[in-house]
Amino acid sequence: MGSKTSLSKALVRRETISGYLFMLPCLFFFLTFVIYPMFMCVFTSFFDSNMGKNTTDVFIGLANYRELFSDRIFLGALRNTFVIVLVSVPVVMVFSLWVASAIYDMPMVLTSAFRCIFYLPVVTGSVAVTVVWKWMYNNYYGIFNFLGKNLGLIDKNINWLGDEKYALWCIILILLTTSVGQPIVLYVSALGNVDKTLIEAAEVDGANRSQVFRNVKWPQIMPTTLYILIITMINSFQCFALIQLLTSGGPNHSTDTIMYYIYYTAFKLYRYGYGNAMGVVLMIIIAVLSAVQFKLGSSDN
Amino acid sequence: MASVKLVNIKKVYPNTETKKKKVKKGEQPEEKKVNLQITDEGVVAVQEFSLDIADREFVVLVGPSGCGKSTTLRMIAGLEEITAGELYIGDRLVNDVAPKDRDIAMVFQNYALYPHMSVYDNMAFSLKLRKTPKAEIDAKVKEAAEILGITEYLDRKPKALSGGQRQRVAIGRAIVRDPKVLLMDEPLSNLDAKLRNQMRAELIKLRQRITTTFVYVTHDQTEAMTLGDRIVIMRDGYIQQIGTPQEVFQHPHNLFVAGFIGTPQMNFFNNCKLVKEGNTYAVEMLGKKVALSAEQNQKLAAAGAADQTVTVGVRPVHLDITNEGFAAKIDVSEMMGSEMHLHMNIEGQDIIGIIPTAGLDLNTVKNGSQVFFNFNPALIHLFNPETELNLI
Ligand SMILES: Nc1ncnc2c1ncn2[C@@H]1O[C@H](COP(=O)(O)OP(=O)(O)OP(=O)(O)O)[C@@H](O)[C@H]1O
Ligand SMILES: [Mg+2]
Repeated sequence: MGSKTSLSKALVRRETISGYLFMLPCLFFFLTFVIYPMFMCVFTSFFDSNMGKNTTDVFIGLANYRELFSDRIFLGALRNTFVIVLVSVPVVMVFSLWVASAIYDMPMVLTSAFRCIFYLPVVTGSVAVTVVWKWMYNNYYGIFNFLGKNLGLIDKNINWLGDEKYALWCIILILLTTSVGQPIVLYVSALGNVDKTLIEAAEVDGANRSQVFRNVKWPQIMPTTLYILIITMINSFQCFALIQLLTSGGPNHSTDTIMYYIYYTAFKLYRYGYGNAMGVVLMIIIAVLSAVQFKLGSSDN
Repeated sequence: MASVKLVNIKKVYPNTETKKKKVKKGEQPEEKKVNLQITDEGVVAVQEFSLDIADREFVVLVGPSGCGKSTTLRMIAGLEEITAGELYIGDRLVNDVAPKDRDIAMVFQNYALYPHMSVYDNMAFSLKLRKTPKAEIDAKVKEAAEILGITEYLDRKPKALSGGQRQRVAIGRAIVRDPKVLLMDEPLSNLDAKLRNQMRAELIKLRQRITTTFVYVTHDQTEAMTLGDRIVIMRDGYIQQIGTPQEVFQHPHNLFVAGFIGTPQMNFFNNCKLVKEGNTYAVEMLGKKVALSAEQNQKLAAAGAADQTVTVGVRPVHLDITNEGFAAKIDVSEMMGSEMHLHMNIEGQDIIGIIPTAGLDLNTVKNGSQVFFNFNPALIHLFNPETELNLI
């Protein structure tokens, strides 16, 4: 008995070692390209740093963080970011679940076709998509102005991206089209995986369609919902390419997001320390929100 | 409580997938399931199914895999569309009534318990949907839990239960709301043999406490025989025989039923001769002539049977080891305790006999020994080898 357990321990140890060996290359990249930059980000956020461009870094403690909270542009960017998240996350969740429920039990061909259509913007690449949208929003020959005027919705051309009132909403609209593809695909497969006999059991128990959904399907796809919620949230928080390509934060910083402002501070103003401080704040916000969602989601189960 | 009436029910599954496969594979038509009836319309799973189930009756559908038992049950539940025919629950035609409005309950083979709900909520679910008052729900769930002995698990999630306990919860969920009809699709097939016997006994007890109509699907003939008021034996989508357990055992309607009901299987002797001698009949089998009983003679005469080739069926329990009779060699003898299973060989044919061990000299039935067997002719069955129908 004794020798048997010691043997199996040796076996376990050997397997553990070979397991770590297999992980080594992956671990190396993870440490070099994820952990180390993250650490450096936090580290330099305590310095007045321009990455050695003109001067050496000077330790300034929490000065960057203090400055952040009196920086009206940063606070504006923070507000814009939250608007984007608070609008796009619910819309993406509801819309993708609605589409997925509608298409998941259609004939295979139709399901695939719809999945393709909604996934297309995701794979097209944001530059190509954005160029098309830029044209659609155009002040002079954009399709929105054309349709709006012909249908009598607007009197004169609107400079969609050049008007503080509309610019952020235009960005959100594009973000939505590129964000729903992944959730729809995930929801279609999650709904398809719901045990059919559970649904039948609920039907026999007397549930109508919406009761079946609420009591059987919804709890069954909860893990997927949670996952979609978090990736959509992170995606929205990190909205950057659209802004960079369309408005560069303008007009008058009305479309600044934290991500864009980080880029602007670090690579346009060469204030790396300050930019990194914003990055740390963003990281903390995302981490806290994700943790909260996980907690809520798993206590639900 | 309600009667259930099925009138000439037919079910055809649209043939979408099979057709696609055929087109793709093209040149492999030989790989088809034997009991599948594929026509241009699709897979015919059930046909010409007519059955009157009385109020509070316990009817068991039994048959080999793929014969259409589940399909029939699911049509009663409303989970499967009825292709043709009429289905009544009570006096109401329910062909186009949704499952939720049929007031039936169903126990699924895999239990289908809602994994995110506690046992209590699983059982209370249907009552909640019906907006039953809370106090009444509580009373009913507790009562059902009491009957099934699962009171102590009410707070648990199904995941934390054993197979037998889950089975009880599934039954509990079905009985809490006094359904008109209780449908069960192989409810015991996921349990091990011992638990299955135990649950079977409990179902019989349950039956006496619950006044509802039961339709029970199984491929296990022991379950069918012990539980059913009546048994419906199916093959390839057709009903073979409907009758009480005793009827189907003693008077199997055809060769299939005779072979399906009873373990070990009935012994069949092919190519025997039925001969008419004046007013009486006899069977020539294995080189001997066996005279038939008065009752058998009467029935054969009434049917106007003539000389013909027949298949003779004799149940293993009806074989006796005697001093004279048909000579056979024992290949294997299995001691089962109070009885013995003898696997014998006669003229190249394998047969089985079951004989009581009381007062038996075990030396005479050793493996390889030569014995004589005989049987009471009144207990044999005669089948027409072409139509497979029982002649008596
Ligand atoms: N959804 C379906 N599409 C096409 N054919 C089906 C479908 N469901 C069942 N069938 C076919 O219908 C026939 C009857 O199936 P059914 O499930 O009723 O058999 P069963 O008697 O319950 O068998 P088992 O004992 O294996 O459960 C089978 O030949 C099966 O292949
Ligand atoms: Mg079945």
